[in-house]
Amino acid sequence: MLSADFVIATAVGYVCLLFVIAYFGDRRARTHQKSFLHSPAVYTLSISVYCTSWTFYGAVGNAARSGLEFLTIYLGPTLVFVGWWFLLRRLVRISHQQRITSLADLLSSRFGKSNRLAVLVTCIAVIGIAPYIALQLKAVTSSIQAVAGSSEFGQGSLKGIDDVGLALGVAAGMALFTILFGTRHVDAKEQHHGVVAAIAFEAVVKLTALVAVGVFIVFIGGGLEQIFSDAAAAGISVQSENTFDARWMTTLALSTAAIVCLPRQFQVTVVENSDENHLRVASWAFPAYMLLMSLFILPIAVFGLTKMPAGSNPDMFALTLPLAQGQDALALLAFIGGFSSATSMIILESIALSIMVSNHIIMPLILRFGSPSSGGQGVTNLLLFARRLSIVLILSLGFFYFFFTRDSNALAPIGLISFTAIAQFFPAVIAALFWRDASRKAVTAAIGAGFVFWVWCSFLPSFSSVSPQVALLLDQGPWGIGWLRPEAMFGLAGWDSLTHAAFWSLSANIVILTVGSLVTSPSALERLQASVFIDVFRQGHTTRGNFVPGSATANDLFFVAERVLGDRRAAALFETEARDAGVDPDMLEPSADFIGRLERELAGSIGAASAHVMLSKVVSGSDVSLEEMMQMADETQQVIEYSQQLEKTSAELRSTAQKLEEANTQLRELDSQKDEFLSQVSHEVRTPMTSIRSFSEILLDADDIDHGQRRQFVCTIHQESLRLTKLLDEILDLSALERGERTWQNAPINPELALDRALNVCEALLRQRNVSVERGKRAASALVEGDVDRLCQVYINLISNAVKYNDASHPVISVSSRMRTGHHLVEIADNGPGIATGERKLIFEKFSRGQRAAADQSGAGLGLAISRQIITRMNGTLELVQGPLPGACFRVRLPVLTGA
Amino acid sequence: MPRWSALCGNCWAVVVDRRKLASALLVLTLSGALLMLPPFVMVFNQPISHFGVPQIVIYLFVVWLLLIGGTALLTHLLPREQPPNSGESD
Repeated sequence: MLSADFVIATAVGYVCLLFVIAYFGDRRARTHQKSFLHSPAVYTLSISVYCTSWTFYGAVGNAARSGLEFLTIYLGPTLVFVGWWFLLRRLVRISHQQRITSLADLLSSRFGKSNRLAVLVTCIAVIGIAPYIALQLKAVTSSIQAVAGSSEFGQGSLKGIDDVGLALGVAAGMALFTILFGTRHVDAKEQHHGVVAAIAFEAVVKLTALVAVGVFIVFIGGGLEQIFSDAAAAGISVQSENTFDARWMTTLALSTAAIVCLPRQFQVTVVENSDENHLRVASWAFPAYMLLMSLFILPIAVFGLTKMPAGSNPDMFALTLPLAQGQDALALLAFIGGFSSATSMIILESIALSIMVSNHIIMPLILRFGSPSSGGQGVTNLLLFARRLSIVLILSLGFFYFFFTRDSNALAPIGLISFTAIAQFFPAVIAALFWRDASRKAVTAAIGAGFVFWVWCSFLPSFSSVSPQVALLLDQGPWGIGWLRPEAMFGLAGWDSLTHAAFWSLSANIVILTVGSLVTSPSALERLQASVFIDVFRQGHTTRGNFVPGSATANDLFFVAERVLGDRRAAALFETEARDAGVDPDMLEPSADFIGRLERELAGSIGAASAHVMLSKVVSGSDVSLEEMMQMADETQQVIEYSQQLEKTSAELRSTAQKLEEANTQLRELDSQKDEFLSQVSHEVRTPMTSIRSFSEILLDADDIDHGQRRQFVCTIHQESLRLTKLLDEILDLSALERGERTWQNAPINPELALDRALNVCEALLRQRNVSVERGKRAASALVEGDVDRLCQVYINLISNAVKYNDASHPVISVSSRMRTGHHLVEIADNGPGIATGERKLIFEKFSRGQRAAADQSGAGLGLAISRQIITRMNGTLELVQGPLPGACFRVRLPVLTGA
Repeated sequence: MPRWSALCGNCWAVVVDRRKLASALLVLTLSGALLMLPPFVMVFNQPISHFGVPQIVIYLFVVWLLLIGGTALLTHLLPREQPPNSGESD
């Protein structure tokens, strides 16, 4: 037979096993980033910390007393997980981005990093959870007593120790265990992989135990049908007409809220989540786990009610039924299962609450009064001490609640008191995630009001069995005011007390939250945080810090970081930043981004509000002044302008480069033309020079030349000299024209006269070549600015060109002039071969000759270049145009003097 | 796309787009809540037993199972997404 001593020893052994698992889990999670501890299975199992001894023992009792009601506790969470895409995914994403460490942190961070709100939430959570912890203590105590009471020698060393003493021992043990477990170090993300590993293990143990007991009961009961028919024969019916009343809806709503807002559920589901995708598995696996847990609860309850003697505690059926059947091993398994569910809840709940208490109550107090000790590990140690103290406080509160309400029987109603308290956060959480206009003031007031109603209608009445004053209050109301009776507020009597409390507290909560948000306006920081929270899935959203760099040096920041994060982590953080910025760690200039990251990092350890306060002590520019904003805007504007300028310049550069390339091609072409021409010039110079030299040599050497021959020779020498002179003159003329050295006198002249003169000069040439001249229309006389001789030279050049290169059988040239838009135009066209398209650009260049001219070799290729220079000097243009005849047509355009 | 949805052909092509899947999940959640609450639940709350088990118990567990199955199915079809800040690890 089992004895109390034996089960206590087993429990201690079991706790040691858990400790080993947690220790190795921690080590494994540190060394292996991808170990199974980061798997969705472990994540799901850790969420099932929701199933506490309330499930293991309390649900059976609840089923025995109220039928199907126990199911709502699991159906509500099922709904939340079915809709994981909308609520949980959002919570997890936000918490990862903002380094949220608890529900209080979430709400305070969303509503303007308000510490007051965080303190309120923390206090309500600590007080509200006390009954829940008491429930676990009561379950463990009852289970030990059940074993002890099962036989006459079962008491063992427990003789003389009552429930209270036992519960105190259990509470003390749990506190010690949790401190050893959960507060060994401070982590930035507040993740406790070791603890989660142990919790997951406990989840398997409690499921195995309950299923084992269930299968055993169904087996000895002769199958499900037999159990239910036996129960029906004994007058016990599960089905009842009034199961689905207001209470059903209330418990469903409360459990829906609880799975999100319970501190330990928030801790495992949101904070300990290492990968958002784990939710995908948990979304169906956690409801499936709960379904398995509740599958055998009804058979156990019904079988217990049928077979166990009247008056036995239905909460303990899962343990007492195997004991009654003499199945010691199974009973021991059941005890371990129940113990598992209790310990996992107490450990996680107190860790989660201690984080809240230390981050939101103790840290701000330290920050406000007295500077933190100057040692590097100062704040870290202080933080750990604060957490240990909080754990003791939380378990003490649980124990005291147990002590004061020890006479109450059932487990489930105690848990529902806690659920009602925790549900007060739910409207605020929903508003935080989905309602942009929710304001801090309204949320604080709403949670506060909900809490007051809860204390009055739910918490206080639970003491009625131990306190006659409370009983009197319940009966008559305070100072005899009937409509303030805690269980019949405003005359709403006759309701179930849970429904009554939930209705009033949540109604007040929601009304104040909504109406309050509509009449108040959120601060700038709240608006900022609202958009960070609500637009969390919008792409491209970057979370920026609210600090502006400037006054803070890296040293100041490091000093703060070191005290909170510890020496090693702070150094690592700063070195990474320096490496990313590419500077020496000593020279690091803290940027706004870096300060923002540091704030989130600190928030991971001490909560958003405290981190904000702490950093704003160092960074004096925490409130962005208008000037700074303007300056920032200016800088942005400048950067934009600068980049636009750069773009423009680069476009210009591109076009210049293109022009240069074109010019270069032209230059190359010209260069080759010039080379060709130079060889031609030297050839041309050489031909007369050779004849001059040879004729003069003959004249020098031979004396026997007759006079006629001598004269002919001298004549040739003279002609050749003239040709040379002319060539050299043209070259000189052109270079002089180009450089503008020649004195130039522009005077009003009549271009018509110059044209007539040119035609007269060319008369002989024309006749010699047998060229017919078409004299086109002539303009009336006009005055242009220019040099009449030079202009005449241009016309002569053009006419002689037209004659010289004309190889047509009946060569024709056409000369015409006219006035157009203040210009005097002369066009000289021919019916020659024309100028090839490729040469049109080049013919006006120096040393350039068309293909035909090159073949003819009679010109130096300077005529057109000189002509163009002359016309340019007269402010006119010389261009090649489409003429009336098939050959080339040159147009001389000169501006007419106004008033002429 | 999962292998079997290809087998199922056109019937799933309609719901594979992400927004519709998310909407389907919302519908599943809301209809789950509806099926658990009066007046719907009252329809099945009759003193009848099937296989010895009261009908209402079977009803609630079947709804529960359907919710689990439906969630598993829809979640499986929903595309995985990589959170943008997952690179931050320490």
